[in-house]
Amino acid sequence: MSQLAKLQSDFQAYLMDDVKGAAFKAHMIDDEKVGAKKRLGIYVDAYRLRIIEALATTYPKLKALLGDDLFEITARAYIKQFPSKYRNMRWVGDKMQTHLEQTLSQHPIAVEMAAFEWALGLAFDAEDAPNFTLQDLAAILPEDWANLTFRFHPSYHLLPLQHNVVQIWNALDKEEIPPNALQTNAPCLIWRMDLNAHFRSLDTTEYAALQSIVEGASFGTLCEQLQENASEEDATIQAAQYLSGWLNDGLITKA
Amino acid sequence: MSNTQQLPHLTSPSLGFGLGLRTEHYHPILNSKFSESLKVDWFEVLSENYMVPGGKPLYFLDKIRENYPVVMHGVSLSIGSTTPLDADYLRDLRKLADRIQPAWISDHLCWTGVHGQNMHDLLPLPYTEETAKHVVERVGIVQDYLGRRILLENVSSYASYIDSTMTEWEFITEVAEQADCLLLLDVNNIYVSGYNHQFDAKVFIDGVPKNRVQQIHLAGHHNHGDYIIDTHDAPVIDPVWDLYEYAISRFGAVSTMIERDDHIPELAVLVEELQIARDIAAKSLEVAA
Ligand SMILES: [Fe+2]
Repeated sequence: MSQLAKLQSDFQAYLMDDVKGAAFKAHMIDDEKVGAKKRLGIYVDAYRLRIIEALATTYPKLKALLGDDLFEITARAYIKQFPSKYRNMRWVGDKMQTHLEQTLSQHPIAVEMAAFEWALGLAFDAEDAPNFTLQDLAAILPEDWANLTFRFHPSYHLLPLQHNVVQIWNALDKEEIPPNALQTNAPCLIWRMDLNAHFRSLDTTEYAALQSIVEGASFGTLCEQLQENASEEDATIQAAQYLSGWLNDGLITKA
Repeated sequence: MSNTQQLPHLTSPSLGFGLGLRTEHYHPILNSKFSESLKVDWFEVLSENYMVPGGKPLYFLDKIRENYPVVMHGVSLSIGSTTPLDADYLRDLRKLADRIQPAWISDHLCWTGVHGQNMHDLLPLPYTEETAKHVVERVGIVQDYLGRRILLENVSSYASYIDSTMTEWEFITEVAEQADCLLLLDVNNIYVSGYNHQFDAKVFIDGVPKNRVQQIHLAGHHNHGDYIIDTHDAPVIDPVWDLYEYAISRFGAVSTMIERDDHIPELAVLVEELQIARDIAAKSLEVAA
């Protein structure tokens, strides 16, 4: 290892653990005015504070849910457990869900909140794609309808949730006291519309409908699927309503 | 310095006076009535913030680019690191440059991590021949890949190595001349590091190659008494304005901008602060002429 490589390796080790890495201090000028320990301490603190801030930006409601103190403890432990491998701070929090499963498993709501906020972040800057519009739909010939399949926007994400995370998120967003954590089984649809991340809970029928369409089922297949619980006419109306809703939400893109 | 006259002219003409682009200002910048009278000549964007797949950041960047020259400023190139250059990062950087056609691309003369880790900080380098050689080699690779000269910025530092064998300005000069790259001179950082390491900021300014300074940064900081931390959360202080005047009298008209990363005020407040830079530069150039 070159001298420079050794210096950098030791400097980094010091930033991660200034007790274990203390020997590195001898490489820095130790003056009367400030002193090497305090000087390096500026870097030691800045490293953590910068990442804690980035995590708070990615997980604002998780922070509100845990409170400042527990969030900071969690963030510090996270930094130790999952040092950043990313050039872009935006990705630094990608292991938060795993981290919370390991450290706060008694609070499954925190785990789900992290999953939810991470998904919102992914929707926010997912790839762009041109929307499939009602005009595009109008151009489809009647005989082609049954075989019509759809491509979903890159920001589209279906998140299975076991708790009332969405309600808690909404309350925290309005700076209200959040409801208690409750078990529910409400899958959540997350996507980007008009440049902002959106989300809504899905009922089981729409969830199933979306899942099959995303997996490549045709409009005709969707109608058949809905007929299991409705008349042919009602099923077709339902399928058309779903489709126009997804179009309006910008969920479907041009093929 | 006797051969100054013969030095090749490497820098592009000044873009004037700019600001760092911040999300808080997207709307006021794009509000058409305001932008007609907006006295900002160009914007600097933090490259990494826009090295994302899509969505709002790129949408606004494209819009702003339609109306203003833009320069790209990165924090994660890690040019001084002993870990190999990150090919994915360079690819994404080039992709962004292809998209927005920046006037130029800059990053910092520092390192940000080793062993595949990123500490997300601008860590200081020891000023040695070994380091200079290492950085020069890597700048060469980056410039070849990007097909252009890059600008390297002097960072604020809080600690210095006993291993250093030259001053920071000697180191910068050696790197810039050997690598044939350009410089982004952060006048505030010179002040901060000068305060922290007790050197004369003017000697620093006098010591860097005049023909390679393409951009100047100005910013505020936080003075803790014994040392200064470069926080970019406050207005530029008077001693830094004085240094700026000194720098312009030496380098001539150089693209100048103010960085504000925290406690971000309304756009109009920064535009007003930028006017101070305009006035100082005008005065300084008048005296020089
Ligand atoms: Fe700077």
